[in-house]
Amino acid sequence: MTEYFKLQFKMLNRRILDFGMPPLIGYLVVLLVFGATTGYLFSITEYAGYLCVLVALGFTSRLSEPKRNDFLKSIFNQRRYLTLRLLENLLCSLPFLIVLLYHGFLTEALLLILGVILGGLFHFNTNLNTTIPTPFGRKPFEYVIGFRTTFFIFPFAYLITAIAISTGNFNLGIASMALIALVCMSYYSKPENEYFVWNFALSPKRFLLVKIKSCLLNFTLLSIPNMLALSFFFPSNSPIVALSFLVCCIYLATIVLAKYSVFPNEPGLAQEILVGISFVMPLILVATIPLFYSQSVTKLKAILE
Amino acid sequence: MISITNLSKFYGSNQVLNAVNLEFGKGAVHGIVGENGAGKTTLFRCIAGLETYEGQISSDFDKLKNHLGLLPTDPFFFAKITGKEYIQLLVNSRQLKLKNTEDRNVFDLPLDQYVSTYSTGMKKKLALTAILLQENEVFILDEPFNGVDLQSNFVLVEIIKKLRSLDKTVIISSHIFSTLADTCDKIHLMKNGEMVKVAEQKDFGVLETEMKDFTIGNRIEKLDLK
Repeated sequence: MTEYFKLQFKMLNRRILDFGMPPLIGYLVVLLVFGATTGYLFSITEYAGYLCVLVALGFTSRLSEPKRNDFLKSIFNQRRYLTLRLLENLLCSLPFLIVLLYHGFLTEALLLILGVILGGLFHFNTNLNTTIPTPFGRKPFEYVIGFRTTFFIFPFAYLITAIAISTGNFNLGIASMALIALVCMSYYSKPENEYFVWNFALSPKRFLLVKIKSCLLNFTLLSIPNMLALSFFFPSNSPIVALSFLVCCIYLATIVLAKYSVFPNEPGLAQEILVGISFVMPLILVATIPLFYSQSVTKLKAILE
Repeated sequence: MISITNLSKFYGSNQVLNAVNLEFGKGAVHGIVGENGAGKTTLFRCIAGLETYEGQISSDFDKLKNHLGLLPTDPFFFAKITGKEYIQLLVNSRQLKLKNTEDRNVFDLPLDQYVSTYSTGMKKKLALTAILLQENEVFILDEPFNGVDLQSNFVLVEIIKKLRSLDKTVIISSHIFSTLADTCDKIHLMKNGEMVKVAEQKDFGVLETEMKDFTIGNRIEKLDLK
């Protein structure tokens, strides 16, 4: 079992090296980003504890994939397998547990421990063969696949908006909209097989326009319930709702461009840093968007022309 | 018409295609045969513009790729996408509108199910259906018969014949000589990145015998089976 964890550690280090940074620096960056994000989260909403539990369970649930677990079962005996699963789940959720305890969220911490133990003992098939209906079937593929993977987040986001309305916490409602935007951004984190770009009978510029247009239209569809509810219950803040929506759209377009700026490769450290800086300093977008756009056109020319 | 002149391709210092000269005419089915690693797939990728190369590939079209349906040996599919959505994606990419997908479901595929639940043969049939619905003028089918059941093989052969009658250009690679002999007007033999022989329909039998003799040689004796 020690060998297994040593191997996992090696694989993690290789991943960080693939990002182009030494593992030690990588761990430090992750720690800083995690600290800053959770700190910010706890400062803006009293529901941060629940969010923390959900995100941690989301992470650990990825370790419960049936294929992965079948493989582990074929290597280890039942007792070792269960110990290993519990240990890796606890290790993955440890940062979140520390944060919860630090902020005094004892109940949520216990809830998380219970969740990861259950997740370790049972595994859940997240690859259901039942076709989940989506409203995006006519324009595959990013939102079709993304929605089917993350569909459970949307009712949760709308619930947050409902809580925001019932408690009169407008910022929480905006955070819910940002959550939807972040989820939509994740649909563009990996490049598709070049065959699906090659097939387009479009120029690179038209191709990018089509991709951005469909991304924003689909995001609008998912955000409409939030926007309408917030504008209705906080009428004086309607301009802020519209502005927030616009900001989300700009960032979504940036993410689409960032993806194709290195196509067919996966966005690397350089793109992530640029996007990260753009989140902190939105003015940087004035330079980031044209840069990603021109890089995308160059990369797509090789495939589309 | 697609014309290939002195086409060469290197992966580092490894030459995969060596000064290939070929012509693929309209209304004809061209077969490409050769051992694994002979360069067939690389040749197809060069024609499709998915690889950089030395030499020239010209066609009657302004942009050949926009009129080309490519069926890869092992088509790629996304997880959590249905057969119908896959077809929609490929048809959309050519700015075409598709209605009544079910009516065009020539292989009776379960189009509302995730492609991940399909067998290898079903995936191949889906990918083929999608490129057929793209209304292409040129088709490159890399191992179209692999993993496909006998009944669908019959359908596939008839589809290829229909494409020829519609004046389309069809290029097929296959390891199953009999299916190529049934469908092709010409068969090109590739070896180590070079085109070593072209056979017309009347010479297919001779080509097959030559290939067998050359390929088998004394290999079986090497095993020293007892």
